[in-house]
Amino acid sequence: MKISSSILTKSINFHRPNTLKFHNFHHFNQPHIPNLRNEKKIMFFRVCCKIKVPQDNSKKPISQKIVISEGAPSLKEGEKEKESGRREVSPPPKKPTSAVNRLLKRTSQKVLGVLSNLPLAIGEMFAIAGLMAIGTLIDQGESPDFYAQRYPEDHPVFGFFTWKWVLTLGFDHMFSSPIFLGTLALLAASLMACTYTTQIPLVKVARRWNFLKSPEAVYKQEFSEKLPRASVQDLGVVLMGAGYEVFLKGPYLYAFKGLAGRFAPIGVHLAMILIMAGATLSATGSFRGSVNVPQGLNFVVGDVLNPSGFLSNPTEAFNTEVHVNRFSMEYFESGEVSQFRTDLSLYDLNGKEVLRKTISVNDPLRYGGITIYQTDWGLSALQILKDDEGPFNLAVARLKLNGDKKLYGSFLPVGNDGSQNVKGISMLARDLQSIVLYDLEGKFVGVRRPNSKLPIDIDGIKIEILDAIGSTGLELKTDPGVPVVYAGFGALMLTTCISYLSHAQIWALQDGTTVVIGGKTNRAKGEFPDEMNYLLDRVPELVDKTQNKPSESMSV
Amino acid sequence: MIFSTLEHILTHISFSTVSVVITLHLITLLVNEIVGLYNSLEKGMLVTFFCITGLLVTRWVYWKHFPLSDLYESLIFLSWSFYLIHMIPSFLKKEKNSLNVITAPSAIFTQGFATSGLLTEMHQSGILVPALQSQWLMMHVSMMVLGYAALLGGSLLSVTLLIIIFQKDLIQVFDKRKHLLNESFFFGEIQYINEKSNIVQNASPSYVRNYYRSQLIEQLDHWSYRVISLGFIFLTIGILSGAVWANEAWGSYWNWDPKETWAFITWTIFAIYLHIRTNKNLRGANSAIVAFIGFLIIWICYFGVNLLGIGLHSYGSFTLTLN
Repeated sequence: MKISSSILTKSINFHRPNTLKFHNFHHFNQPHIPNLRNEKKIMFFRVCCKIKVPQDNSKKPISQKIVISEGAPSLKEGEKEKESGRREVSPPPKKPTSAVNRLLKRTSQKVLGVLSNLPLAIGEMFAIAGLMAIGTLIDQGESPDFYAQRYPEDHPVFGFFTWKWVLTLGFDHMFSSPIFLGTLALLAASLMACTYTTQIPLVKVARRWNFLKSPEAVYKQEFSEKLPRASVQDLGVVLMGAGYEVFLKGPYLYAFKGLAGRFAPIGVHLAMILIMAGATLSATGSFRGSVNVPQGLNFVVGDVLNPSGFLSNPTEAFNTEVHVNRFSMEYFESGEVSQFRTDLSLYDLNGKEVLRKTISVNDPLRYGGITIYQTDWGLSALQILKDDEGPFNLAVARLKLNGDKKLYGSFLPVGNDGSQNVKGISMLARDLQSIVLYDLEGKFVGVRRPNSKLPIDIDGIKIEILDAIGSTGLELKTDPGVPVVYAGFGALMLTTCISYLSHAQIWALQDGTTVVIGGKTNRAKGEFPDEMNYLLDRVPELVDKTQNKPSESMSV
Repeated sequence: MIFSTLEHILTHISFSTVSVVITLHLITLLVNEIVGLYNSLEKGMLVTFFCITGLLVTRWVYWKHFPLSDLYESLIFLSWSFYLIHMIPSFLKKEKNSLNVITAPSAIFTQGFATSGLLTEMHQSGILVPALQSQWLMMHVSMMVLGYAALLGGSLLSVTLLIIIFQKDLIQVFDKRKHLLNESFFFGEIQYINEKSNIVQNASPSYVRNYYRSQLIEQLDHWSYRVISLGFIFLTIGILSGAVWANEAWGSYWNWDPKETWAFITWTIFAIYLHIRTNKNLRGANSAIVAFIGFLIIWICYFGVNLLGIGLHSYGSFTLTLN
């Protein structure tokens, strides 16, 4: 104990707020009897700190403690200390720095403080939620005329909201508008600032533990209990059995459980930042494109893909040629589509097949960073025999229908070449299964299935439908952000689950034959007393006094 | 045929049991607490739970896919989740907790809605759109619905808390009548408090009553917090697995599809709730208000988007299946 008195008082100064926070006294402090209690508390701290100082000094440098007490007001605990002027108590950093440096430091600290402000973060989250809601209410990605019609100036929504608002604020493309992205960026900054200034210091505080050495201190915990005729060692064994980490030193016991629950929120924030970073990478560095390819044709990957941002760099794999070997649709017995399948072959520059795979919805093809999805289908041609001649390929066009259903039509002109009004046979198809045929007058004739080998006679013309050639709708993309985002997803799931854990701390001390137990927890405040009562019931009661004495002498 | 009959039987048994349970609940609340009756209530809930489980399994076996492909099935699953949330605490702890008062009526309401005439045409659909044929269906939808159930339960507890806090104002609004009973089942809790406080008021000075009140508020606050954080975990897993699935099926892990966006809005709102909880000054009424907003938003997310039938998530929409 060579510490001079001045250092000692200083350290008490540093310690007071910390220890206050740590033990969470204010929590059960009755407001109507303040003065006497406060004095007592300070007295107690003096005692407590004197014991603690040498131990702490050896472990942690004082500067670190300054950081802790100086850090922005903690979110979880000690809000009341904010008013009591914690910031004034802590001295400023003593490093000799130039004025500019100091100014920089101060502004950066101020910015950090503002960003890590909880109400601001909550406001940002509300803003994002609101913007997203607006984004779903206003139709996205339409032409300016659409908005001018939808939100006309003479009938503004809510009395002021017209199409000019929509277009100036960029609400026609909400999820890529500067306002939305800016709010997200602000939230990301808040996340980082909060992690740095609040969460990490909180964990540092939670990790520092000490024995409580007076019964009063133990009683002041959120949960406290007195066990007559018991030994603190038995309690330790019981707690260990319940999964607690137990520290015993003489008559004092400290135990904790679920410390990971304190760390996890940091992980949640970091995972969110990781996801945002990955999404940014996706937005700036990916290629996308979609293509409709009739069965039997090919395309080059690079021709289809369009860059989405300035970081998009084409790779070798863009030279790959894709050949659609076969496109087929499978049906349920009721006639509805059950699956689309496309058999694809990939060829490199030398014409060598590098990969072949049948893709379907939910089962894309991946090659060299490129993913090919089955997303759509179409009908490209009808193969027919006309009066046993052919086969002819009839081009098929998609007819405009309102609704999601598709309808394809084709037309086979008959006779009188060169005349003004050409008549012919019309064929309509909803899918690749059946084709409906109409005669020259437009009257219904019959339905034929492709490949049924069943000719149909229309005004003396024999038509046999050999095949309906489908086209596959493929979507291609490269996305360098996916691994990052997935890593973020994994981390977020894990840390959110861990965050449910409640960090429980228990102090106990042997007071004669009685064990005084106190504890607190940060989340499961309702279950904690029940669990404690359950555990304390399992602490054996010492009946014989002679049994009790040796155990005490052992511990001391 | 046998399957549909079995389905019918199970639906009817569970629905009628749960109706009886609710009636008995009301009787016990209004008249007196009878311990024997309370036990039989729990048994009734257990029977219903098994009936619904049986119903889901039947559908699973018969249609050969996880019974979560449309709105009807997801509603049944939602009510099953309510039962689950109802059952778990009563298995862990024998004592009564405030959660029951919320989960039981919620379960009957969702089930009643699912079996009611509004959705009868949807019972028989039974085919899976290509995009739904994936292992992710089970993971994504079950997690989402479990999350909705837990969040709904938790936020209803918060709503109860709000009602208790603003009880006096409410009573003034409702013509200064002491009991705002019969308003809905959700108000069962207040009835309970009113009963309690009436008894206490007759016997003891007001500060004891205040003590009970504040204790109850604290309990509600705590339980809604715990249940919401549990639901938040499910929602997170649900959204993320949905994103992974979307990257397999639609070509992007995030499409800003209306349903997706609203799920994210829900997530954000409950994230706000959890953050408000960390601040002691903002706790209580403030967090409960946010939970109430969240409650409304879950319904928008769950039904509203489907009602409009827009976006990529339009499988379970009314229009499509009614066609």
